[in-house]
This record gives sequence, structure tokens and C-alpha cells, in this order.
Amino acid sequence: MTHIKVTVKQVGKKHQREIRLDPHTTIADLLRKLGSSRETVVVRRNEKIVAEEERLSDGDLIEILTIVTGG
Amino acid sequence: MLKCTFCGRRAAYHRRYAGVLLCDRCLIKSVAKRFRRAIAEHQMISPRGRVALAVSGGKDSIALMHLLAEYCKQKNCELVAITIDEGIKGYRNRSVPMARENAESLGVEYVVVSFKLAFGATLDQMVKLAKLKKTGLNPCTYCGVMRRSLLNQAARELEADKLATAHNLDDEVQAIMLNYVRADLSRLHRLGPTYPPQKGFVPRIKPLREVLEKEVALYALLSGLKVHLGVCPYASGIHTEIRDFLNELETNHPNSKFMILRMFERLKPHIARVTPKFEMRRCELCGEQTSADICKSCELLKGLGLKRLQKTLISPKCS
Ligand SMILES: [Zn+2]
Ligand SMILES: [Zn+2]
Repeated sequence: MTHIKVTVKQVGKKHQREIRLDPHTTIADLLRKLGSSRETVVVRRNEKIVAEEERLSDGDLIEILTIVTGG
Repeated sequence: MLKCTFCGRRAAYHRRYAGVLLCDRCLIKSVAKRFRRAIAEHQMISPRGRVALAVSGGKDSIALMHLLAEYCKQKNCELVAITIDEGIKGYRNRSVPMARENAESLGVEYVVVSFKLAFGATLDQMVKLAKLKKTGLNPCTYCGVMRRSLLNQAARELEADKLATAHNLDDEVQAIMLNYVRADLSRLHRLGPTYPPQKGFVPRIKPLREVLEKEVALYALLSGLKVHLGVCPYASGIHTEIRDFLNELETNHPNSKFMILRMFERLKPHIARVTPKFEMRRCELCGEQTSADICKSCELLKGLGLKRLQKTLISPKCS
């Protein structure tokens, strides 16, 4: 496979989108690509909170939860 | 799939600064252990003491409420949770019910104190007044000063001997950096795991001070706690810039936050020697302790044409 496709959802927002990625992309790589700081989010991969060094697979559902509330 | 370094279950978190992977159970255990270590190391809670806890309903304070409730049960201490309702529409009205729900489920005594009752105005109204009167001060200044003052008064009225706040490592390091940037030596000196006892002030403790914000969030989420994850509409300015800067540093150089904290702790005894000591006296307007003629919150209120309403915050219980 030359590319994988994952669905990315920001928790609390309705909008979700499909992103095409290289096969060896990790969650940390994806966050960098999206401009999200890994210190300020928790990521669920297919409904499970997992380490951000896990490599993504085709068809994954990635939910990004922002944890920094400020105040 | 990545495995937990300690037990081999699927990892939920990569603790990069320590080079280990943690599963949900091991992360929860590790955070609880740090909480207990901080309490023991700094003798934060006295046997059979009465601890007041500031609870906003966010992940940090809800996590701390659960940790403290368990701790206090074991150690025979009393716990009372206080929510300060600043009156921030769309934010606090969602987090207050969360705080109450958690307190009720844990059987923790719970009180709410509002800006509206104490000062005759919500924070939203103060922000409008500040704009109208062109005070040039930002919402966080009003909120921070007045919330601290009410928390102290409420904790005192509730006869607590300690006031716990849910400041995490990120909060603490942000405060250190902010005081550097502002060259505020006396504020810098007052930061720490505990706050030195002073007349009229309930000593403050920060049991989550050595836990990264992300790890507190993971603790709350992996434990299945009900927390409010909204963003304060007033969060802006230098606070958020410093936060973003520190997060970038931590991403590229894990352990930076701990190192800033450690360096501060090494410097602290030296800072004490060059920091002027203030005589404390009673505020001429409200009677709370202050180093000036009137306290900071009365000064801010005065600037808005408001004043502290002379009231006890907590109505005495009928027994
Ligand atoms: Zn484990
Ligand atoms: Zn005053």
C-alpha cells in the first residue's frame, strides 16, 4: 500500500476529516502534521487511549481531546 | 502495539522524560504515588486535619478531589471542597455541576462561593466595567486575585487548617517563568509546594505540583472520572504564550519542565535572602491580611467602582 487513510476527529467538534498518510506514520507524526502539541492533547485510537509512538493503520479512527483549559 | 514497561499490558502513555511506557493501571498508580510522596515529603497534611480543596470542576481539581478523598478516609482527615463561581458564562456554569456531582458521589462536604454574592458583580460584569473604565488590566488579573482572596476566606470560615489547590507541574513552571519575565522576585519567592504559614492565611498545599498536566489528564480520563474540559474564554495574553513556549520546549527536549522546577528549588533559599519581608496588617476596607493599606482585591474592586460586601461567605450550619 502506498498510502493509508485515517479519520481524524477533534473531540467536542462535529467536524471530522479523512487524512492520507504514509504507511509508517505514528500518532506523534500526525499531531505534528496537524500542528497540535502532544503536551496538550490526549489521543484515542479506535476508542482506546494509546502511546503516541504507535503506528497508524489504514481505517483508524483518531480522536483528539484537548486537555489544556487555561484558567 | 506498544507494551507497558512494567507489566506488559498495552501502553496508554509514553513517559518520554523517563524513557518508559505505561499502561492505564500503571499510570494511575504512578500518579497516585507521586501525590502521596508530595504530601509526605512536605508534610502537607497533619493527622486528623481538616483540608479545604479548591475545585473548579476541571480535570486537575476533580482528579485531586478523588485522590484526597481516598487519602483522607485512610488518614482520618476531613475534606471540604470549595468552588468559586466567578460568573463566566458558558464556562463556569458547566463546570460547577461537575464539581458538585463528583463531591456528592464521594460523599465530600461541598460549598459554592460566588463573585456575585461577595462583590456584587460576576467576573463577566467586572470585565465589562474594566473595559469601560479603561483600567488596562486583563480578566485573569481580576479573576486570580479575587478568587484567591475568597478561597482563603472560605477556607478560614470552614475552619480548615490547609487549603489544597490542584496546580500541576505545568502550572507551577508557567508561574516560575512568568515571574522571571516580569522580574517579580517576591512573587517568585512565594511559589512552592507549600506556602509559609502567616496570620490570617490558611496555609496552601499543592499535592500535584510534580505531575505533568498531561499525566493528570490521563489519570482523570483513564480512571473514568467525570470532568469538564471546556476552555476559559478569557485565556489569552502572556500566560498562554508562556504555556505554548514551555510545551514546545518539552516536546523537543523532554524533562525541561522538571529541570526548570529543580533549578528554581535550588535557587529558592538564595532568593529568600534578597527578598524584602513585608509587615502584614489588616486591610482598611475588608479586614483581610495585606502588606499595604488596602488589599489587592479591594484595590481592584475600587478601580471598578465596586466593593467587597461585608458578609460571611459560608452560612453557619444549623445543628
Ligand atoms: Zn502496566
Ligand atoms: Zn480588602
